[in-house]
Amino acid sequence: MTEISLSTRLSTFLRSFIIQGSWNYRTMIGGGFAFAILPVLRELFEGPRLDEAVRRHAEHFNAHPYLAGLALGATARLEADGAEPELMLRFKSAIKGPLGGMGDALMWAAWLPTTVLIGLVAHFAGASPWMCVLLFLIPYNAGHVALRLWGFGTGLRWGHDVGRVLRGAALGNLAELVSRGGVVLLGMLAGFLCVAGARGGPIELLWTTLMAVAFTAGLILGERAWRPAALLAVGTVVCVLMVAAR
Amino acid sequence: MTLLNASLLGGALALDATTVGQFMISRPLVAGLLSGWLAGDPVSGFLVGVVLEIYLLVAFPVGGARFPEGATATVVAATTVVAHPGPGAFALGVGFGLMWGQLGGWTINAMRTLNGWVAPDPAAPLLPPARVVCGHLLAVLLDFVRGVLVTGTGVWVAGLVVARFSGNWPLGEEDTVGLFLVGAAVSVGILLRSFGGLARRRVIFLGGLIVGVAGGIFL
Repeated sequence: MTEISLSTRLSTFLRSFIIQGSWNYRTMIGGGFAFAILPVLRELFEGPRLDEAVRRHAEHFNAHPYLAGLALGATARLEADGAEPELMLRFKSAIKGPLGGMGDALMWAAWLPTTVLIGLVAHFAGASPWMCVLLFLIPYNAGHVALRLWGFGTGLRWGHDVGRVLRGAALGNLAELVSRGGVVLLGMLAGFLCVAGARGGPIELLWTTLMAVAFTAGLILGERAWRPAALLAVGTVVCVLMVAAR
Repeated sequence: MTLLNASLLGGALALDATTVGQFMISRPLVAGLLSGWLAGDPVSGFLVGVVLEIYLLVAFPVGGARFPEGATATVVAATTVVAHPGPGAFALGVGFGLMWGQLGGWTINAMRTLNGWVAPDPAAPLLPPARVVCGHLLAVLLDFVRGVLVTGTGVWVAGLVVARFSGNWPLGEEDTVGLFLVGAAVSVGILLRSFGGLARRRVIFLGGLIVGVAGGIFL
């Protein structure tokens, strides 16, 4: 078992921030994975063995970018322990699905919209633009960077056994908890929007009514609601252009 | 100068969206404020960002999916709105930004196809580290250039469209905002559905709604 130096670990962790740099449909983040793990490989191998190690890590791989560090750390540990290439390949194949699913559910579907909603609600509550942006960016990135650090550190520590830690981390429960907070903030945003529309005369009340209809359409139809909404938007633009042409 | 500044900002923010870091300074809320600040009116830029943010609340950079590019769309819309005050410019600028976001999403997919050629080929028997580093950093540079071009072209075309047609916009400022908030309400509905739906979340959603209505009245 070889210990990976602190500077190499730091370099690998920092490189993980651009792991999606060469995202493509052939190897997805495989090239980024090879780029990020390169400092570890350089410390462990030389010459043709280094080229061969780089090649096997450039193969197809995909995961949520914030949790890819977990696979990166674990693979670095396996390389340092002298694990067989076949074992590393199987490990990466097994872990990429869960890392993608958990990351999407926690970060894209829960944490990001919830923290964005903090900024939006703050705006309607009267906070200044810079304050709203900070109220979004600071909590969002606190969670983001903490997840990256946890993932990379856990991977490095546990290596092949990282799946057990991942199961115990209960990221799904965390996503559920964050989603609940998001729903409260979403309700607050809807409340602010209703009042913003209902203030004043009958025209504004009309907008509030239309907003309620649009909200219901989104709730029932989901993403499909954008089709009629987009048609309506295009129709509006066409009307304006017709008026302009007169 | 505004076009150059906006294009460079668009390129930098486009990188943040998927390629570098993903610190989310590319979200419309932040991009609108930064674009408005660069163009000389941070408050107007931020308002554009707020509207676009609500529209794009449900657009996330998930895996290989095609999604509208909020960063370049917001820089285009905010720069245009700041340069041409008035409800017509707001409506056409934000509408153009939404449309341009779709185009931006398409260019991301095209670039990912191109990256297939740029990224290192794992089928090669040996892969020198220099090939991996060069390919990866070249792809990052390409994404920046893509962002610059998408934003620059968007700001230029949007400026022409807004200058030509904004005077014919039939609605006043408040009604224009009302119209856009109707569209934004679709996103709020979709997001509630994504959070679990009204049937499952009705108690906490209604709790938030009451607080929001009270806040809207008293704040």
